[in-house]
Amino acid sequence: MTNTPNGVFEWIWFIASEYAQLFVEGTLITLAVSVAGTILGFILGFIVGIAEDSKLSRNDPVPKKIFLGIIKGISKVYIELFRGTPMIVQAMIIYYGLRQGGFEIDPIMAGILVTVLNTGAYMAETVRAGIKSIDIGQREGALAMGMSPISAMMNIVLPQAFKNIVPEMANMFLTNLKMTSVLNVIGVKELFLQAKTAGGTYYKYLESYLVIAIIYFVLCFLFNRIFLFIEKKMAGKKDYALAVEYMDNNE
Amino acid sequence: MSDNNKKEIIRVEELSKNFGEHQVLRKIDFSVNKGDVICILGSSGSGKSTLLRCINQLEKQTYGKIYFDGKELGRTQHEINIYRSKVGMVFQSFNLFNNMTVLKNCMTGTRKVLHLSKEEAHERAINHLRSVGMAPFINAYPAQLSGGQKQRVAIARGLCMDPDVLLFDEPTSALDPEMVGEVLNVMKSLAKTGLTMLIVTHEMGFARDVSTRVLFMDKGYIVEDAPPEKFFTSPENARTKEFLSRYISDGERRS
Ligand SMILES: Nc1ncnc2c1ncn2[C@@H]1O[C@H](COP(=O)(O)OP(=O)(O)OP(=O)(O)O)[C@@H](O)[C@H]1O
Ligand SMILES: [Mg+2]
Repeated sequence: MTNTPNGVFEWIWFIASEYAQLFVEGTLITLAVSVAGTILGFILGFIVGIAEDSKLSRNDPVPKKIFLGIIKGISKVYIELFRGTPMIVQAMIIYYGLRQGGFEIDPIMAGILVTVLNTGAYMAETVRAGIKSIDIGQREGALAMGMSPISAMMNIVLPQAFKNIVPEMANMFLTNLKMTSVLNVIGVKELFLQAKTAGGTYYKYLESYLVIAIIYFVLCFLFNRIFLFIEKKMAGKKDYALAVEYMDNNE
Repeated sequence: MSDNNKKEIIRVEELSKNFGEHQVLRKIDFSVNKGDVICILGSSGSGKSTLLRCINQLEKQTYGKIYFDGKELGRTQHEINIYRSKVGMVFQSFNLFNNMTVLKNCMTGTRKVLHLSKEEAHERAINHLRSVGMAPFINAYPAQLSGGQKQRVAIARGLCMDPDVLLFDEPTSALDPEMVGEVLNVMKSLAKTGLTMLIVTHEMGFARDVSTRVLFMDKGYIVEDAPPEKFFTSPENARTKEFLSRYISDGERRS
């Protein structure tokens, strides 16, 4: 090396350009794991949330009662377990658990699985609260005119619950973006692990982690802006146009 | 009155409803003929809403039977859905779909339940919205309307299903006084079209002018069932008399 870098800033620049490939790869893996984890976790959370919220009535047939009862029980245990333990521990248990059980799972896949399960446990509660926030009257309005309970759910309740859930989902994504760093413990080559590798050669850990701190920050900042923009779009128009063609003269 | 109008459309036999230990409806018997406009009066907690909700099957009765068009109601969800599409309900709190415009509110039922084409559903919605004076507001969302306007949309939404019977649970009780009139007027003109209606209300004048029969409920029983002339001038039940005298003196004090 002809020009040895001087001071923290030069080292940051040096590490960043020397290991650019590592950081790019790490960024992509971090993004992939958090995007896949959030979306799939959201779907899982939706299913679990709806299952948890479904009510049994006395007139339901016994098989339905048993089936729903089991599903609800599993949902409860799952939510409690995943909210009650750190993600880093979950990652170790799932990854090594699967390996010992004979599943040669790829670290990235295991990482996505952990993120999905974690996200699902949190989103289930959000979905439940989102559904609860839609007043029962609208559901009854739909049922009273002959819509099936499922149709009322799909057409009336969920679209509105979804609107309340989107900001939470955005939050969850930003959290996941940062939380994927713990997946370094199972060898997922996301940003944190790449920074560790990059810092190791020259023993420049501070500089290396500063590089990824900047990357994390920029990603979070950008996504946050995008989500705010989407939420604003979703809020819809504040006024409406009178349909003058249907105006009677006497109005 | 034509022969058709005498035909029984709903009959309720020994209808009872308990919430836990609490008996809210006690062996209620009555029937509704086509073209009837029945007002149901009674003090708070006497079971009026529960009766309508049982008739629409939003509540399942604890005991007793409901017949529609001569046949006992089926038990499967599918049968209940079909029945409900013929027996609509208008609620005190409107219960419009907040995620849909006025137009969509009036088209969802006909599209999803009756499977009408888009054009047919649209035409029906416009016609009924027009009849309640809400057609110019098709692009508005419920949150952008006044209470009276919301209730008129809810009535139009009910009418779009072309129901055999329309149930009303205190349709004007959540409205500011100046909006009560516009909704009652819509209901009055509906009564003239021959639509069968069951109306829980506290509007005595409306009940007297519009109904063909008045029921009075007390503690889960129907204690009076009479044409309005008789009901308001010579009721038989002591509770009815007391209830009416309270209302009449209230009215006198107000005027
Ligand atoms: N879901 C429920 N669970 C338990 N009790 C209920 C339920 N719905 C109604 N009740 C009880 O049943 C009784 C009758 O209620 P209902 O709403 O039918 O009365 P109402 O005649 O419509 O009164 P109001 O004029 O105040 O609307 C009340 O004592 C009420 O507390
Ligand atoms: Mg009531």
